[in-house]
Amino acid sequence: MKTLKRILNSEGVESFASSVMAILIGLLVGLAVLLISNPQQAFEGFKAILLGGFTDMKNLGQVLYFATPLILTGLSVGFSNKVGQFNIGAPGQFILGAYAAVYVGVKWTFLPGATHWMVALIMAMLAGALWGLIPGILRALCNVNIVISCIMMNYVGMYLVNVLVSHTIFDSLKNQSLPVKATAVLPKMGLDNIFRAGSSPSSVNAGIFIAALAGIIIYILIEKTKFGFELKACGLNPDAAKYAGINSNRTIVISMMIAGALSGLGGALLYLAGSGKSIEVVDVLAAEGFNGIPVALLGQNNAIGIVFAGIFVAYLTVGGFNMQLFNFVPQITDIIISVIIYFGAFFLLFKEFIRSHGSMYYAKSNEEVKAEKESSGGD
Amino acid sequence: MQTVYFLVQQMMYFSIPLLIVALGAMFSERSGVINVGLEGTMIIGAFSSILFINMFQDKLPGQPILLIAIIIAALSGILISLLHAFASINMKADQIISGTAINMFAPAFAIYVARMIRTVQQIPFINQFRIKKVPVFGDIPYIGDMFFKNAYITTYIGFAILLVSWVVLYKTKFGLQLRSCGEHPQAADSVGINVYKMRYIGVAISGALGGIGGLVFVIPTSTNFNATVAGYGFLALAVLIFGQWKPFRIMFAAFFFGLMKTIASAYSGIPFLAAVEIPSEIYKMIPYIATLIVLAFTSRNSQAPKAEGIPYDKGSR
Amino acid sequence: MDYIIEMCNITKKFPGIIANDDVTLQVKKGEIHAILGENGAGKSTLMSILFGMYQPDDGVIKINGGKVNINDPNDANRLGIGMVHQHFKLVQNFTVLENIILGVEPTTRGFLKRDVARKRVLELSEKYGLKVDPDALVEDITVGMQQRVEILKMLYRNNEILIFDEPTAVLTPQEIEELMKIMRGLVKEGKSILFITHKLNEIKAVADRCTVLRKGKCIGTVNVADTTKEELSEMMVGRKVDLVVEKKEIEPGDVIFDVQNLTVKNKISGKNAVNNVSFNVRKNEIVCVAGVDGNGQSELVYALTGLAPADSGKIVLNGNDITNAAIRQRNESGIGHIPEDRQRYGLILDYNLGYNLVLQNYFTKRFTSRGFLKYDDIYDYADELINKFDIRTGQGAKTMVRSMSGGNQQKAIIAREIDRDPDLLIAVQPTRGLDVGAIEYIHKRLVAERDEGKGILLVSLELDEVMNLSDRILVMYEGDIVAELDPKSTTVQELGLYMAGSKRSSVA
Repeated sequence: MKTLKRILNSEGVESFASSVMAILIGLLVGLAVLLISNPQQAFEGFKAILLGGFTDMKNLGQVLYFATPLILTGLSVGFSNKVGQFNIGAPGQFILGAYAAVYVGVKWTFLPGATHWMVALIMAMLAGALWGLIPGILRALCNVNIVISCIMMNYVGMYLVNVLVSHTIFDSLKNQSLPVKATAVLPKMGLDNIFRAGSSPSSVNAGIFIAALAGIIIYILIEKTKFGFELKACGLNPDAAKYAGINSNRTIVISMMIAGALSGLGGALLYLAGSGKSIEVVDVLAAEGFNGIPVALLGQNNAIGIVFAGIFVAYLTVGGFNMQLFNFVPQITDIIISVIIYFGAFFLLFKEFIRSHGSMYYAKSNEEVKAEKESSGGD
Repeated sequence: MQTVYFLVQQMMYFSIPLLIVALGAMFSERSGVINVGLEGTMIIGAFSSILFINMFQDKLPGQPILLIAIIIAALSGILISLLHAFASINMKADQIISGTAINMFAPAFAIYVARMIRTVQQIPFINQFRIKKVPVFGDIPYIGDMFFKNAYITTYIGFAILLVSWVVLYKTKFGLQLRSCGEHPQAADSVGINVYKMRYIGVAISGALGGIGGLVFVIPTSTNFNATVAGYGFLALAVLIFGQWKPFRIMFAAFFFGLMKTIASAYSGIPFLAAVEIPSEIYKMIPYIATLIVLAFTSRNSQAPKAEGIPYDKGSR
Repeated sequence: MDYIIEMCNITKKFPGIIANDDVTLQVKKGEIHAILGENGAGKSTLMSILFGMYQPDDGVIKINGGKVNINDPNDANRLGIGMVHQHFKLVQNFTVLENIILGVEPTTRGFLKRDVARKRVLELSEKYGLKVDPDALVEDITVGMQQRVEILKMLYRNNEILIFDEPTAVLTPQEIEELMKIMRGLVKEGKSILFITHKLNEIKAVADRCTVLRKGKCIGTVNVADTTKEELSEMMVGRKVDLVVEKKEIEPGDVIFDVQNLTVKNKISGKNAVNNVSFNVRKNEIVCVAGVDGNGQSELVYALTGLAPADSGKIVLNGNDITNAAIRQRNESGIGHIPEDRQRYGLILDYNLGYNLVLQNYFTKRFTSRGFLKYDDIYDYADELINKFDIRTGQGAKTMVRSMSGGNQQKAIIAREIDRDPDLLIAVQPTRGLDVGAIEYIHKRLVAERDEGKGILLVSLELDEVMNLSDRILVMYEGDIVAELDPKSTTVQELGLYMAGSKRSSVA
């Protein structure tokens, strides 16, 4: 019984409970919106959101398919949060990675078989890393606020990719990028046989395994390595990190590169999935990039948590598609997600606040004991 | 010379909204609260006021409907910003995250309501507000051509807001107390100032000005509102930092970016630029790249309000 | 008996701690009443309650015999109570005038009337002998003037009851004399003064009566004239305390640390924070840099440890030039650093004790292998240090450092730095904010290291500590070293004159 109590009071459970609370409130607000829009079909629509992902194997597969880029952008945001920087530049890094991957997929046809998509992924990571590097360097050398520079880079990235697509790999009929060669498409690894509804398979592919693998690698990097130790130190206390001889500028720049590479990889995995999706030439920032933020928040910036959080947000998204069958506006999913972020901001951090100011709680255990001993002995 | 007049007139369309929103951000940050949710605030302000214009434009005449729309924009901006205030001040949440939530919520909300009420997500309006020439002032040589022709009443309102902001911030009791909350809230608290109340007011002002800025942005530059303000809310934050949190420097920063943006969109009207065939996307990038370059040079000695972004907690000493 | 203030049976709890436990305080009108106690005894909490910053959980406050509720500083102000805080509550980029009027600004329809305010401030300044420049920015003025601004804040508000929280921590002996004079002058004008301190000398110099607090409880109230320093000390700590550290005579050895012509510029003002400073430290020696806070000591230490670059000069450790070496290189060459601000520089509060104890050498082969940390070795080492240095924790090496007491946090830092066996140990205000027990321990440790052949560079603001611990004293004033003194042949008064810049010796 005592161990049960200890588990319930432990930090992990506290965090999980906070995430769940934020999610519940978001869903309730969603339900309220559904009721306002169309009371008769509201509950059907709500059921669709909650259960849409499970209706059949294909939908389940779609959940994993959508989760893939979200996990990666979530890892990107979560990783940079660990070093104390808010990577709002994920949309820019994502689309740069997407372009690099698609370019390789369309143009570098001299690459044989499997190496084609592998090289595409690598180029995507390099492109994303570059896009993360620039804000990092601007901060390290010129003290430019990372949030602002990331935002600027998002727009520069968006316009740049539009120009590049329209000048190098353009399908002018559809105003988007050309389809990639079959050898650049990610292998299905039999998943299309598991996750199908009748004759139509889901788009899920090896990407989900790559995403999960990325989560594990990042987890190990942060928790088990010397670099992770330095990274967390910079995020928790930059002054003490400097005192300990850690070069925080270098650490932050490298971290932003890794974060950028992760988002870039996410872009590649989405556009090489063989689902018929191509880069559209429009002035719209990649939503998958921004959606990494709630994923990182719900995952508490913990790599493993982010994998699950990514699947959850994807689940909501698929539910949202199903909800549209009942004539509801798709933006309702975004509303739900933004409400989750809003409440997440203070539930999840309220706990932090208690912890940092509740040091008195712990001091009691040894100090009060000492004081009791002394006061009973003294006067 | 005609080109110059044209450029300046266009520049006002871009600079004034930046100026207004950046001044709003200034009040919030000077009180100690970072408000990155201005993009979303602008969207909400633009949406509610343009919806109003859309619904009543055939019933009410030109400028008055615009003035009422401004008030509606301000009120809706205040409402949405109160959410941010509550999260940041009472719940001591991470101010960047709560602002981001608003940025994500606003366009979704605007599209949702538009589709509910009007079945499409764009909200069109008739632009009956352009003033071809202001009587008397419009006849002044050079200046009249630049500032008093093809203008909107919102331009002058923008300048008025600038002056009022400067006076309030530096010449009034409220301004002094507000600034103390952003620099050293413990000191303010110790002399009896209610830091929480001051910060709420700061955020509310940023909401009002953000909302107005959204309306002011959309009116001269298009004929419908499509749930976006093209990143202006973020550009306003850059203007704030470039302007070092001071009203008149913010004005210069806003003019600089407005000019960049103008060149980007009006380049086809400038003869020699139209001749060089640079893709339009490159021009669209210019304001953002220019921002980065400027910030790279000016951020070294940046003097943000010392206590901004840090939730105030009475118990800590 | 006519008490102007009575705080009766005040109890105040915070999570896990009873800060004030049934405390009764009675202050007569026109007296200087001292509140004595160690760090953590509850003095600041009690006064914060009087000033309206906290509410008591239990108990009653009476002003002039009538019960009152003080819910915030405005209420306190209305009752005539004002407070000069230990950490000044001044807005750095406001002027002196703006800081004084903040909260009670004279206005016409909302607009500030600066001239009216300036006139009143100058009048008060004249009357009480508190010299200030109303238009100077607070970030540009001296600490002494900042304190005068805090006092003027109270006088501007016509406060009759003035609370001073540890006012002398940042003053030279001469400025302390000044302050005592000002206090006596205020009392002559009919004001009543409450004066929080842990310094027995000052209580004896100026207080009429003294209330002693220990661990939240009120031990008693005494007439200062009838009580000795030893009796006060015993009431404060609960046992007899050795006020002097035992230190045996040792002949210092070779020079291990040599600083030559070191200069550090202040980027903002352009002046030299450290001005062409030269000195050395030898084995078996404790050299203390004494001086009022803000005369370049912090900048000197940053330059010596590598936290900030030096503009010119040379730093030599054991014959190696480390002037431009990276921080880690200096640490590995034999420097240990116990920093001024333990929570900001010395520890990562959200890491556990084990991680913090290897903060300076986690990257060595002992604790890292092929990029991966060796946790077992880290925790074994932490357990070793916990035992050797008697660090008290809740959960051993896995304890979150944020939850440890100040004294134990400092012990952890000292354990880490000493165990690395540095040749030179730089200790900056190592006993600040700690209770007497922890202070005794740290002093003993420092002397032990010195006996074993280390060189210690101590930076301290506590004059007792300076006189007791050092073998040699270097006095810093405005970036220069103005004197090199032998504690055995110097008095506190003389030390004070050097610290205030009134005297300079012709030594390098």
